[in-house]
Amino acid sequence: MNCEEVRRTVQDYVTRELSPENRRLFDTHLVECAECQRELALMTALVSTLDHQTVLAPSPGFGEKVLAALPKQRRCFPSPWWSLALAPLLAGLVWLFRVPLERGMVHVAGRVGLDGFTLPAVSYQQVGIAAATIVGLGLLVAVGGVVFCWRAYLQE
Amino acid sequence: MSRYVESTSEEALVSRSARGDEQAFGVLVERYKGMLYSMARRLMKDPGRAEDAAQESFIKAWAALPGFKGESKFSSWLYRICYNTCISELRRRRPEVELDEAMGVPVEGPVQEFRNRDILATIQEEVSRLPDDYRAALTLYHFNGLSYEEIAKLTHKPMGTVKAHIHRARAALKARLLERVGWDNLKEVMWQ
Repeated sequence: MNCEEVRRTVQDYVTRELSPENRRLFDTHLVECAECQRELALMTALVSTLDHQTVLAPSPGFGEKVLAALPKQRRCFPSPWWSLALAPLLAGLVWLFRVPLERGMVHVAGRVGLDGFTLPAVSYQQVGIAAATIVGLGLLVAVGGVVFCWRAYLQE
Repeated sequence: MSRYVESTSEEALVSRSARGDEQAFGVLVERYKGMLYSMARRLMKDPGRAEDAAQESFIKAWAALPGFKGESKFSSWLYRICYNTCISELRRRRPEVELDEAMGVPVEGPVQEFRNRDILATIQEEVSRLPDDYRAALTLYHFNGLSYEEIAKLTHKPMGTVKAHIHRARAALKARLLERVGWDNLKEVMWQ
C-alpha cells in the first residue's frame, strides 16, 4: 500500500471498516511513513471528537412548552369493549322492528326449505326483560367509559 | 409526573402516550429532548430555529403516535421525524445564522480526541459550513449513531452516496483544520 492508498482508506481504517488484509497492508506502510502516521493521528482525533459530541440542552422549560403546545383534543382510550355501548341502540332497534324481523326470518326459512319454521313462542314480557337486560349492560359500559375518560382527563 | 419513575419502560410510555396520556409523553419528552435538540441544532445551526424544530418534532410525534406500530425503535422513529422537520425547514429558509458552541465540549471520552476549546470551535464552525447533505449524514452517523443503512433509509439516498457524503465531509473538515490551525498546533493540543 502506498501513501495515496493509505490516504484513501484512512477513514475506513479508523472506523474499522477496512478488510483484515488491507488493514495489515495499511499497518505495514504506516511503520515506515511519518506523513501517513500524521494523517492517521489527525483522522483518529477528528472521528473521535465527532463521535463524542455532547448532548446539548434546550432552554429551560422546553418540556413544559412542548406539552403546552400539544393539541388539546383528548384521545379517549379506545377499547373493543366500547362497542358494547352500542347494545342499547341495537336492542332498541330489534324491539322496534321485531314484527318485520320475525316475518323476514320465516320467509327466508321457507326459501331454504325449512317450511313451517316458527320462532320459539316467547311472551312480550320475556322479550322485554331480555331487552332491558341488554340495555342495562350497554348503559353500564357507557357510564364506565365516561367515568374512565373523565378520570384520565382530570389526571392530565 | 411522580407516577412515572425513571425505570418506567419506554414501551409502556409510548403505549400510554399513543392513547393520549400527556404525562407519559412528558416523560418521553424529558428523555429525548437533549438528543432531538442537539440533532436539530447540528442540522439547523441556529439555536432558536433548532429549538422550534425540536418542539415541532415532538408535536408531530404526539399526533402520529397512535399510528406508531413499533416496527422500528422509538428513538429511530423520533429521529426520522426530527430529520424531516429540519430538512423541510432548511429548504424553506435558506439564510443561515452563525452558531456558537454547537459542538459542545466533550465531558469524557478517549484520550485521542480534541479537547481544546479553540479546536472544538473550529471544527464546529467548519461542520456548520458543510453542505446540508454532508452535515446531515455526518450528524446522523456520529452523533445519533445510525448506520449507513439507517441513514440511507431515513434520507432516501443510496447507501454509497451516504458513505461518500460522510467521507467527503470528514476529509473537508480535516483539510480545513490543517489549513486554519496548522499541524504543529494540532499536534500540541491533540493529546492534552
